[in-house]
Amino acid sequence: MYGCSRIKRLWSVWLSGALLLLTMLEATAAEPKRVLLLHSFGRDFAPFSDFAVRFRDELFKQSPDPIDLYESSLMSARFREPTEEGPFVEYLRTLFAERKVDLIVAFAAPAAQFIQRYRPQLFPTTPMLITAVDERRFPNNDGLTANDTIVALKVENSRYFDNIRRLLPETTTIAVVIGDSPLERYWVGEMRREFQQFTGLHFEWLNTLSFNAILKRVAALPPHSAIFYPLLAIDAAGVPHEQERALASVYAAANAPMFSIIDNNFGRGVVGGPMISTQELGRRGAEVAVRILGGVPAASIKTPPLGLGTPLYDGRELRRWNISEARLPPGSIVQFREPSVWQEYRWEIAAAAATLLMLVAIVALLLVERHRRRKAELQSRSRLLEVMHLNRTAAAGALSASISHELNQSLGAIMSNAEAAELLLSATHPDLGQVQEILADIRHADQHAADVIQNLRKLLKRQSVIEAHEFDLNDVIAGSLPILLPEAQNRGVALRTDCSRRALPVLADRTHLQQVILNLAMNGMDAMMGSASQVRTVTIQTALNEGHEVEVAVADSGTGIPAEIMKNIFETFYTTKPQGTGLGLSIARTIVEIYGGKIWAENRAEGGAVFRFTMPLATAQVI
Amino acid sequence: MTAAPLIHVVDDDASFRTAIARLLRAAGYQVVLYESGDAFLSQPVSAEDGCILLDVRMPGFTGLDLQNHLNDLDCILPVVFLTGHGDIPTNVRAVKAGAEDFLSKPVAKEKLLEAVERALARCIERREERDQINRLRDLVSKLTPREHEVFSLVVRGKLNKQIAAELGTSERTVKAHRRAVMDKLEVDSLAESVSIAERLGMLSNSAEKN
Repeated sequence: MYGCSRIKRLWSVWLSGALLLLTMLEATAAEPKRVLLLHSFGRDFAPFSDFAVRFRDELFKQSPDPIDLYESSLMSARFREPTEEGPFVEYLRTLFAERKVDLIVAFAAPAAQFIQRYRPQLFPTTPMLITAVDERRFPNNDGLTANDTIVALKVENSRYFDNIRRLLPETTTIAVVIGDSPLERYWVGEMRREFQQFTGLHFEWLNTLSFNAILKRVAALPPHSAIFYPLLAIDAAGVPHEQERALASVYAAANAPMFSIIDNNFGRGVVGGPMISTQELGRRGAEVAVRILGGVPAASIKTPPLGLGTPLYDGRELRRWNISEARLPPGSIVQFREPSVWQEYRWEIAAAAATLLMLVAIVALLLVERHRRRKAELQSRSRLLEVMHLNRTAAAGALSASISHELNQSLGAIMSNAEAAELLLSATHPDLGQVQEILADIRHADQHAADVIQNLRKLLKRQSVIEAHEFDLNDVIAGSLPILLPEAQNRGVALRTDCSRRALPVLADRTHLQQVILNLAMNGMDAMMGSASQVRTVTIQTALNEGHEVEVAVADSGTGIPAEIMKNIFETFYTTKPQGTGLGLSIARTIVEIYGGKIWAENRAEGGAVFRFTMPLATAQVI
Repeated sequence: MTAAPLIHVVDDDASFRTAIARLLRAAGYQVVLYESGDAFLSQPVSAEDGCILLDVRMPGFTGLDLQNHLNDLDCILPVVFLTGHGDIPTNVRAVKAGAEDFLSKPVAKEKLLEAVERALARCIERREERDQINRLRDLVSKLTPREHEVFSLVVRGKLNKQIAAELGTSERTVKAHRRAVMDKLEVDSLAESVSIAERLGMLSNSAEKN
């Protein structure tokens, strides 16, 4: 900040010089106006330096004539002891002996007083503009000559405390950070006098402390304190301090909010309030300077002193000290409002939020979609199970003659055995050994009937979910035979099995695979209804394919599948049989595919058709 | 009473076969078991009185096949069908083919034994009829060819004169033959001779020849 403003200042000086040079080269006729800026405390002594910078900028901006600007500094105003001014006077006299100065601009009272003292020797006719000075230094324009005019400022310290109390009503202590130079002493005196009216406030005057002591003090102020920082040029130890750096140090150490009276410190840690605008003072000064350079007699120009400007606050400090903006006087301006994340990244946040919302919407949509799909899947799955069940019921219906024959066979055996036993027992010397045999046979027959019914019940079981288990596919084929064999016998079909001796573990619902085998076997039997009895054969084979899948083949000795039927044979509702539903093979395919297998049909070279399906092996078989 | 009647049981289901055999034996019958129609046919047809209990549904030779075959063999053993799942068409076919009875498994003892008794009675009936026919056949076989010719013409109601003309002989000779025939056939009247001819099926045969 400091370096930056310094560079800026150097840059503007250089620029003004360059401009001047250009103007001189171009306008040979136009004599530049010579202006001498005389500083009291040094060229870079704030707040005067800030007034000077604004003034220079404004002057170059406003002046119709080229300006030949000189700057010089009294410096001695800093010192408490009077200094020999002779050499400096001589220096100025030498410098301007051949160059007529059109206007002297004195910054602060010491420079003005110096000019007034040496004017007869140095610049007897040159008008002087006095600025950056409090109005009370020249009350009622006392001490001004006919060649002098003043653009003063009006420091109203008391008004400033209204500001502090308005913002921080609980304030009890005000620490006044100020140095011990003659200027500062003047102000201490002024302020002590002025502050007597503030009876409720305790003022701590730090002008008697060294800079380090000041820093310590501001770091340990009691609660409800505020720091009033008008100026710190030279501390009590006599050490001069560069204004910006001193302010930064105090700010860093302070445990209480800081207030200042001139806006040059604004933005560097002070909370703010009504302040004197350096910009405005510079503008007014330049305005007056231009008029004087234009030939207006200085004394005729009366400028009212510049008072406190529009209240100006530093948003960062307001927030830091927890001062609500509602307490600010009406018409206040808050600067450096730390942009909230929202303010700073409004579009980014909006875009991100929009994206997020969109994503949420998409996710919600997908979830709803997924829910729907899952529901639909469940529905379709349950319908499929329903259809599969219907198909099994139909198969059981088709097998009912065989099944009832099978059952009646057992029931007949049981009945006859029981009646034989009755007869035996009614004899005088019953053959109990035979009765025992009979009872054992009854039990066997009963068991056989129970097995038949059990098989049927399994086949007819209604399922709401698929229960996959690992089992040996050979067992399913063995389990299907009691159901198929009576039917085969009934139809005069020889049913053969040729099962792999190796176990064929698959992961599936046992009933479903049994259903596939029943469907294929029944289909095979149906296919041979027209063939001669001697050649009616259905063969069920199982085999292990390359160690990773099981293949089941159901072959018949019928007439084979005509080519035009082959391509549609697994289609739902496709049937060539008068009583067919067109579901058997379609369901067989559905089931096989549910468990990750494939099914296909082909004609055998030796006649008849063969239906094959594969199933993934549940556990890898070591060959 | 001689030996108990012999019941032939043909059924592929061993447990049923055994059970029915026990019951029949306990009821006082002799029982022979066959596991298929082929097994039954491989044995010579029994001469003893009895009947066949036949399962309709068997692998290979079904009950109906066997029944037809037995009819061809002129077997007098009546057939009682036992079926696990009897449908009407099968029933009708069986009865048309001469089945004595058609029973459904499981069959109650009383029903079974009644059917068996009926079948046995029918068997005796058939055997007696067959025996009588055989006796008549024996008598007929004792006729000389000429006497046989005269007999077959007489039972068709031909007059002696017509017969003589047909055979190219004299009426007297025909008369003598007729007496010999009556003696050999141990009959006293023309009506009796006609009855024998009819029972031996000679009338229809002769008619066919004509």
